[in-house]
Amino acid sequence: MIIGENIHKSFGDLEVLKGIDLQVKPQEVVVLVGVSGSGKSTLLRCFNFLEEMNSGKITIDGHTINPKKDKLANIRAEVGMVFQHFNLFPHKTVLENVIEAPLIVKKMDKEKAKQLGRGLLEKVGLADKAEVYPSKLSGGQKQRVAIARALAMEPKVLLFDEPTSALDPELVGEVLQVMKQLAEEGMTMVVVTHEMKFAKEVADRVIMLDKGVIIEDADPKTFFENPKNERTRQFIQLVE
Amino acid sequence: METLRTIFDIFMTTYPGFLEAVVITLELTAISVVLGTVLGLFFALMKISNSKILQGIANLYITIIRGTPLLVQIMFLYFGITQLIILDNFWAGAIALGVHNGAYIAEIFRGAIQGIDSGQTEASRALGMTNNQAMRRIVFPQALRRSIPPLGNQFIITLKDSSLVWMIGVAELFSVANRSAASSFKQFETFIVVGFYYLVLVMIFTYIVRWYENRLDVDKA
Repeated sequence: MIIGENIHKSFGDLEVLKGIDLQVKPQEVVVLVGVSGSGKSTLLRCFNFLEEMNSGKITIDGHTINPKKDKLANIRAEVGMVFQHFNLFPHKTVLENVIEAPLIVKKMDKEKAKQLGRGLLEKVGLADKAEVYPSKLSGGQKQRVAIARALAMEPKVLLFDEPTSALDPELVGEVLQVMKQLAEEGMTMVVVTHEMKFAKEVADRVIMLDKGVIIEDADPKTFFENPKNERTRQFIQLVE
Repeated sequence: METLRTIFDIFMTTYPGFLEAVVITLELTAISVVLGTVLGLFFALMKISNSKILQGIANLYITIIRGTPLLVQIMFLYFGITQLIILDNFWAGAIALGVHNGAYIAEIFRGAIQGIDSGQTEASRALGMTNNQAMRRIVFPQALRRSIPPLGNQFIITLKDSSLVWMIGVAELFSVANRSAASSFKQFETFIVVGFYYLVLVMIFTYIVRWYENRLDVDKA
């Protein structure tokens, strides 16, 4: 579904990604872990070209992207993203947040978009909040709206950048629940998270990034019980 | 007591002429506010663009306007431009005020746009919007809302600054008052009256801006 080959990214002198190869199959849930600064968020942002790679190749659904020639906006429309800080549009209601991109990017008919939006809000359990503004929502509710907003573009892949890190502990569960449901429905997902329980229960593969390289790539059971790399072992001890 | 009496008399005898002049003052203000807002938006977008040339042009404009007195700009426009094109003094004054305002309003817009969290643009782009769509639909509406208090302030300054065009003979409020004071020899009392006019105008204006601000804020972040 999405293939990254030999991805390099530097910020000035700091090389954040040192040649990453990562292949995500359709319907697969891949969890990226690593200490902060390991490059996991940057990798995620390279996948939808919010971050410009220095070199490397990304193939989405069989199409190798040429960032110079292809319209990046069209590509991003196929790769949904959920952010740590939600980034909802505060001047728009919950429903308007969800239908903004279908209306503007896909030029969808307004009634059709509203119908789609209401359906998605129902899916994330917020049908009754359609007309309120984001400022009236809890963090967990905001993140669920953000997920509905990303789903509204019917993306082929959904990227999650630490979706629960900004939430109060008691609100984490409701967001993970929605993500778990999406995974069960067969959504292809790449998730950067510190929620090891989610990795264990939902992920098909867990990948450990360290100093810009992948040092562990295994199914959750092997990853947590029998990791190859010493750094991975230390990391697991640290977070558990 | 005697002074109060005189002030009242002056008020009663001058108000027909003064009210006519108020209309001119308001027209000057309205034209220069519209012109200033259009120019301000234009130059703000140039300043945040990626083009060094556009940035340079915007910086030059803002530097020159902010670095010279409004009175000099009015005189420059009046004596400079009217040599090239036929422009009556009212329009020369209105344009000078508008061009002057544009520089300050550009900075208001620029600050408001840059003050919007970059996550808003990122989220828009991640949803497949182009930079233009993100600016038009997401960033600018939020920036505009934040611009309203400083814009209101700038409009009040414009209203008061419009008195400076009396120098080029526009029959606005200050100019009419000045003439009236000179002919009646009651300068002190006349300027109290004219001050009162400006004060009332500014208070009405402040009230409108505050009302508009509150209306926009309902239920929103």
